[in-house]
Amino acid sequence: MFRNTREGLALALPAAIFSTLLFLVPVGILLSEAFRFEGGWSLQGYIDFFATPLNRTVFLRTLKLGALVALTAAVIGYAAAFCIVNLGPKSRGTIFGMVVLPLMISPVARTYAWIVILGRTGIVNETITGLGLSDTPLRLLFTETAVFLGLLQLFLPLMIISLVSAMENIPRDVIPAARVLGASWLAVFFKVILPLTKEGLVIGGTLVFTGSLTAYITPAILGGSKVLMLETLLYQRVNVSNDFVSASVIAMILIVMSFSANLLLKKIASARS
Amino acid sequence: MSDSFVQLSDVTLMYGKSTAVPELNLSIREGELICLLGPSGCGKTTTMRAIAGLLNPASGSIHIDGRDVTRVPANKRGIGLVFQSYALFPHLNAFENVAFGLRLQKLPASEIKARTEEGLATVGLTGFETRKPAEMSGGQQQRLALARSLVMKPKVLLLDEPLSNLDARLRLEMRTELQRVQKETGVTMVFVTHDQAEALALADRIVLMQSGKIEQLGTPADLYARPETAFAADFMGFENIFRTEGGKVVTDHGALELGFVPQSPMLAWRPDGVTVGSGPHQGRVLATSFAGAHREYVLETALGPVKADADIALPEAAIGETLSFDLPEATARPLAA
Amino acid sequence: MNTSSRLLANWIILGLTLTFLIGPFLIIILAGASDTSYLAFPPEGLTLRWYLKVFTVESFRASFLLSMALAIFGTLAALLLGVPAAYALNRYDLPGAETVRTIVAAPIIVPGIIVGLALLRYLVVPTGVTVTLALFMAHTALVLPYAVRVVSSSMHNLRADMEEAAVLLGCSRFQAFTKVVLPNIRGGVLAAFILGFVTSFNQVPVSLFLSGPGVRTLPIDMLAYMEITFDPSVAALSALLAFMSLAIVFVAERLLGFSRYV
Repeated sequence: MFRNTREGLALALPAAIFSTLLFLVPVGILLSEAFRFEGGWSLQGYIDFFATPLNRTVFLRTLKLGALVALTAAVIGYAAAFCIVNLGPKSRGTIFGMVVLPLMISPVARTYAWIVILGRTGIVNETITGLGLSDTPLRLLFTETAVFLGLLQLFLPLMIISLVSAMENIPRDVIPAARVLGASWLAVFFKVILPLTKEGLVIGGTLVFTGSLTAYITPAILGGSKVLMLETLLYQRVNVSNDFVSASVIAMILIVMSFSANLLLKKIASARS
Repeated sequence: MSDSFVQLSDVTLMYGKSTAVPELNLSIREGELICLLGPSGCGKTTTMRAIAGLLNPASGSIHIDGRDVTRVPANKRGIGLVFQSYALFPHLNAFENVAFGLRLQKLPASEIKARTEEGLATVGLTGFETRKPAEMSGGQQQRLALARSLVMKPKVLLLDEPLSNLDARLRLEMRTELQRVQKETGVTMVFVTHDQAEALALADRIVLMQSGKIEQLGTPADLYARPETAFAADFMGFENIFRTEGGKVVTDHGALELGFVPQSPMLAWRPDGVTVGSGPHQGRVLATSFAGAHREYVLETALGPVKADADIALPEAAIGETLSFDLPEATARPLAA
Repeated sequence: MNTSSRLLANWIILGLTLTFLIGPFLIIILAGASDTSYLAFPPEGLTLRWYLKVFTVESFRASFLLSMALAIFGTLAALLLGVPAAYALNRYDLPGAETVRTIVAAPIIVPGIIVGLALLRYLVVPTGVTVTLALFMAHTALVLPYAVRVVSSSMHNLRADMEEAAVLLGCSRFQAFTKVVLPNIRGGVLAAFILGFVTSFNQVPVSLFLSGPGVRTLPIDMLAYMEITFDPSVAALSALLAFMSLAIVFVAERLLGFSRYV
């Protein structure tokens, strides 16, 4: 009954055609812009892009912040995930839910909170001036630190989720067994927990890294034009200077990164099943 | 054939580019319980799906009750099928599962209610109306699937390994149940199984299949006593099958002189057809096990291993001992090549 | 370490993590209630006027309605495309099924800002399609991968022979789908709708370039508003939106155990 290929294609193709026309084709044209130069094909667009110091700075900053956020999320994530797994089944569900919930909330709302915290009249500055540590409020917004904190808060749940599900798969008595055999907690972590949760770490790390790479709202609100990242740079290039070649280069960088991360995840998933 | 109710003529069934069943001819009489028997991959389920209309033949024709249904879609054939998995609708309760087909026919509500209740009663599920399939045992699900098909008053009821998901005790119970239902309703039943004991116990006639072809067709008694090919003999429990050469039986191991000159290219003996304790041949005991009414031996002989059942009255021979045995003409079953 | 101090350490770590993750929302709620014309925390005096002001800002009203419409109709359109696709990918042994899967999943991989820019430049500008229509299509495509994935996973356990049974009982193929498949994947479809709705409603990058006079989604409008004004109304609005998302997820979890589909 389900061997009628034409029937199956008739059901599956509308979605595929829609995605092709709305995604693949326009995005493909956009990507090709950087390779078109004076009527021919060349890499001039890329050479020019990386010749500009600001572009290089932004490129490296984006990679640096992405890596830093992923690394920090991994450290906090391991601690939090380990604590969650050690909870009883009931409180585990509740706490896990509280970790997941922020993902459902508008990133604008999530990022805006940091303006309240880090702004001139925000909680941090009020405390500092209140304690008399400084007469003038510190400039905390529009710094890399602000962007870093915003991204970390945005994507930490993804890391915790990945690590919790990885840790749930560690056989029950492995850790006590290692302790009985005389391993210190540090040894337990590096010799037992880390190898057994490597997959979860890679999955979480990739999600956090690509998320940070392609986030727009956080660098836009907390970094502004002082701390540009690739996405905000792209927006600026298009809106301020109509520079579609740079936009095309940035698009390519982001897609290549995002795509390779996805390939990596797919490979892990298929290796597991 | 004049009395054929379901007629498959030169039916070829393909899965993609591979032929599952080539040019099959089969006729089924009205009201009989016929069993398609064979190992997995023999084409029995494929044949059944073709009768149901779930698979279109690449060539050939299927007639049911005198009407050519080869191009009639499955929902217009009036055929019932009890799936191996039962395929009950998990979102509907027992009553609604059975009433499902009747509702599609837009029958009056009173008739739907009456026929559904009657159907549930036939399979002994009165009182289970509001249960969901997930809340029923395997045996009850099986009965429900049967009732769902029966209320449609199908011309033919197909059953795909219907007992394979049940435990041994329930399986015996359902066997009798199926026979009773068939007698009561008089419906033509086509039963697919790989279990020869089930086929022998249930069927009016057995269609033994192998590699998409009919190996042998006959009554259970026929098949049990008179298999015609080595495959059929093996399936029916003739565990000793040998080629013949003049007055000898031969295997790749060696040969044994027989006391007679066989007329067929092959001969077969059931274990209980082999004489143990006397005879012209010697065999060393490789394995022995107690089976109640008799003792089963595996003997290492000039032919290789021979399986033989010995009378329980005979003293037990230990592994390694030598026993004399015979392959008598009286219990030999001649086979075509 | 003994058990009780370990337990304490456990809760301290979790407490700090949750404070970092959830604390900002509590701050927003209070900041939105500050009786000042600028953002202040801790709030100086409590008032509901910023919460009420949110409802009177004309552009917020218009953009809220646009975002709602996009989220609802974009998700419905995605389901209309996605449910048949998920069904076909699960039921049929299609040549190129992997390609179809990859194409449909592409919107997840391609950053939204690029999609928005590409659509603006190569669809809206050359063909004269309105920005609203482009937004609608972009949001549909954005939600499509989630629709296909969530519906697929709820269809995974649904055996094909159930539909065959329905057909043998007299159903047409279409009836078999509506009477047997659909009732059994209802939870998955609803979960896909909710996930799609939330994703679309909160989406920023795709809509960034796809805005025009009078056509702005709510998050974009908020971004624009906070560039000019620093009063607590954006905090109030953020808090309200957070509550809306939480309420939707909470109800969904209660009704159908939403989390098992996501």
